[in-house]
Amino acid sequence: MTNIGFTAGIRRELSRLGSRPIYLFGMVLVPILTAIFFLGLLDEGLPEHVPTGVVDLDHSPMSRSVTRSLNALQVITLTEEAESYGDAMKMVREGRVFGFFVIPENFEKDAISGRGPTLEYYTNLTYFVPGTLAFKGFKTVAVTTAGGVVKQTLVSMGLSDTKANDMVQPIIIDQFPIGNPWMNYGIYLCPSFAMCTLALMIMLMTVMQITSEIKNYTSPQWLATCKGSISVAVTTKLLPATVIFSSIGIFILWLLFGYSHFPCYGSMWAMVAATLFLVIASQAFGLFACCAVPNPRLAFIICALFGILSFSFTGFSFPVQSMYGWLGVFSWLAPIRYWLLTYFTVALNGAPVYFARLYMAALLLFPLVPALLLTRLRKACQNPVYVP
Amino acid sequence: MSDTGRVFRNEMKTFLHDPGVLLFFFALPLLYPVVYTLIYNPEVVTKMPVAVVDESRSAESRNFVQKASAAPAIAVYAYCNDLQEARELMYENKVFGIMQIPSDYGKNIGRNDPAHIEFYADMSLLLRYRTFAAALTDLQLELINETTGERISAAGLNSLAQNMSLIQSDSNFLGDTEQGFASFIIPGIIILILQQSMLLGICMLGGTAAERRRRNKGYDPMQVHGVGVTATVWGKALAYMVIYIPQVIYVLRFIPEMFNLPHYGSPTDYFLFIAPMMLATAFLGQTLNAVMRDRESPFIIIVFTSVWFLFLSGLTWPRYAMSPIWKVLGDTVPAIWGVEGFIRINSNAASLSEVGTDFAALWILSLVYMITACMVTKATMPFVCKQKWQESKV
Repeated sequence: MTNIGFTAGIRRELSRLGSRPIYLFGMVLVPILTAIFFLGLLDEGLPEHVPTGVVDLDHSPMSRSVTRSLNALQVITLTEEAESYGDAMKMVREGRVFGFFVIPENFEKDAISGRGPTLEYYTNLTYFVPGTLAFKGFKTVAVTTAGGVVKQTLVSMGLSDTKANDMVQPIIIDQFPIGNPWMNYGIYLCPSFAMCTLALMIMLMTVMQITSEIKNYTSPQWLATCKGSISVAVTTKLLPATVIFSSIGIFILWLLFGYSHFPCYGSMWAMVAATLFLVIASQAFGLFACCAVPNPRLAFIICALFGILSFSFTGFSFPVQSMYGWLGVFSWLAPIRYWLLTYFTVALNGAPVYFARLYMAALLLFPLVPALLLTRLRKACQNPVYVP
Repeated sequence: MSDTGRVFRNEMKTFLHDPGVLLFFFALPLLYPVVYTLIYNPEVVTKMPVAVVDESRSAESRNFVQKASAAPAIAVYAYCNDLQEARELMYENKVFGIMQIPSDYGKNIGRNDPAHIEFYADMSLLLRYRTFAAALTDLQLELINETTGERISAAGLNSLAQNMSLIQSDSNFLGDTEQGFASFIIPGIIILILQQSMLLGICMLGGTAAERRRRNKGYDPMQVHGVGVTATVWGKALAYMVIYIPQVIYVLRFIPEMFNLPHYGSPTDYFLFIAPMMLATAFLGQTLNAVMRDRESPFIIIVFTSVWFLFLSGLTWPRYAMSPIWKVLGDTVPAIWGVEGFIRINSNAASLSEVGTDFAALWILSLVYMITACMVTKATMPFVCKQKWQESKV
C-alpha cells in the first residue's frame, strides 16, 4: 500500500487536539454542559404557579368564591392582594406579579339581579409563557363563574343537574397534544437547543482546527505530512473530530431520550443516524467557511453569525412558515433545520423513517459543497497569510 | 494628562485600528437587532393548515368547520376520509392539526346532548399549539353561546334566554398588547446583544494582547506602561462606555420605534438604568480576559453563552420557576438584570424606582467586576514593565 500520509495526518491532528485545553473545552465541555444546563433548567416541564394578584372590590361571598377558584388553579398562585387597580398595576411594573384579576364592586348583587357585571383580568405579556399561562387561568375562572351562575339559575328553575350542565356546556372540543400531552417545555426546547449548540460548536471548532494552521504558518507542514494532498489533509484533520462530536451527539441523545425519558415514538436509530449526519454536515459547513474565506477572523464570523442566528431562523419557537418568505429560505441552509424536522417527524409524531428521508438526504448533501472548494483552501495553505 | 486619560486614549486608538473589534462594537449592535426583528416581525402565527375528518357530514358539522376556518389562526388544508389519511399529511408537515368530527355530532346537537369534537395538535412548536388552543377555546365559547341560547329558548325558558350572558368578562393584555412574538422577545434580545457584542470585542482585544505578551516575553508594547492597575481598568472601561453611546441610543431608542414594538418607557429612565449594565459589562469583559489566550478565543468561549444567557434571562422560561442554582448563575450576569429592568421600563412603563432592585444589583455587579478586573489586570502586568518605567523616569 502506498503511503498517502493518512496515519501520519491522524497522528499529527491528535497531538494538536491534545496540545491546547480550548479543544477539550469547545468540543466536549460546552456541548455536554449545555445539554445538562437545558435539561436542568426545564426540569419542571411547565412553569406553573405563575405569581398573580387579585383585586377584590366586592368583598362578598360570591367574590370570595371567585378568589377561591383562582387559588384552586394549578397554573397560577395568588401571591398578592391589591386594594385598587392602581396598586395592582404597580405590582406588575415592579415585576411582582404577571397579571391580576379584578372583581368589581357590587359584583354579587349585579350577578344575581342579572345586571351583567364585568370581571376584568390583566395579563403581562412581556413574558410570554407566564403571561399566557396566567391568561389561561383567568379566562377559565371567568368563564366557569359565568357558566356557574347560569347553571345555578337553571337548576333553581327546576332543571336537573345534568340537564343544566348539558345546556351550559353543549359542545366540547377535546384537545389531544400529540407526542407531548404534558405540554412539557423540556421536550419542546431541550433537544433543539442542545443539538443546535452542538452544531454551533462543531462549526466553530472546525474553523479553529483549520485556520489555526494558517494563523501559525504551519499549514505547509500540514500539507507535507499528507503528501501534499489537501483531501487527505482535510480528512485526517476532521475525522478525529467527527468521532469525538459523534460520541458527544450520541451522549446527548442518551441524556435526552435515555436519562430524561423524553418520548421517542419513532425509530431511535433514525435519530442516531440524523445526529451523525448533523455532525458531518456541520463540519462541512465549517470547512466551507474556511474554503470560502481562508482567514480565521472571517471564517469564525461567518460560522458564529450563522450558528447563533440559526437558533432563531430555523424556527425553534416561531415557525418558519410564518416568517417572511425570503428569511425562511435561510433556514434551509442550516444543517440543524433538517435534524429538527427529523426530530419532529420521527420522535414526536412517530412517523415511519420514510417521511424523514429527504431531511436525511439533505444533511448528506452538505459535504459536497466544500469538496468543490478544496483547491481554494490548498492554495491558502501553501502560502499562509495571517490577517488579524 | 491623567493616567486614566492616557489609558482611555490609547485603548480608543487600539480598537479603532482593529477591524475585528470594530465589527463586534459597531456592526453587531447595528445589524443584529434588525435581523432579529425581521425574523420575528410577522408577530403572530396565522392560517395554520388543518386537516378535517368529518364523519358526521351534517349541517351542524359543516357549520362547525365553517366557523373554525373563519378563525385567523386556522386554515382548512384538506378534507380527509379517515384519520390515517390525515395523519400522513401531518407526517409530511403539511398540516399541524387534525379536526375529527365524530359521526354522532349532528345527532347529539339535535338531541340536546353534549357533542364532542376531537382536535389533534402537532406539538413540535408550543407557539403553534397555544395559538390553536386559544382559537379553539374561543370557538367553543362562541358555539356554546349560540347553542345554549337555542336550547334555553327551546326549553321554554325565554325569560332567562334574554339575559343569557349574566356575567361578562374583559381580558386585557399589558406590555405586549398585540400578543406579538417580536414585541415580546426583541426588547430582551437587544439588551443581550449590547452585552454580548461588548464582551466579544473586549475579549478579542484581550486575546490579541495575550498574543503580544507571548511574543514579547510578557511585555505588551501596545499597553500604556507605568500607570496603576485601577487607572488601566477604568481607562479601558470608560473607552468602551464612550464608544457604545451611539449604539445604546440606537438600540434602545430607535429599534423599538422603527419596528413599532412596545416603547412606553421614559428614555431618561432607561438610559440611566442601562449605564451600570454597560459599566458592569466593561469590567466583566476585562475579567474574562484572564482566560483569553488568542484573538479567536472569544468565538469559542463567549459566543455560545448567548444561548445560556437568553434562557437565564427568563424570556423563554420564567425566572420564578428556576432552581436556585440557575437563578444565582443568572444573577451574576449584568444583562440578566438588564433585560428584566429594561423590559419593565420599556414595555410596562415602569419608573427607575420601580426597577430599583435591578438597578442596585447592576451597581453591585459593577463593583464586583471592577475588583476582579483589577486583579486580572494586575496579574498580566509583569513587573518588568514597572521596572522599565521606573528606569525611564530616572
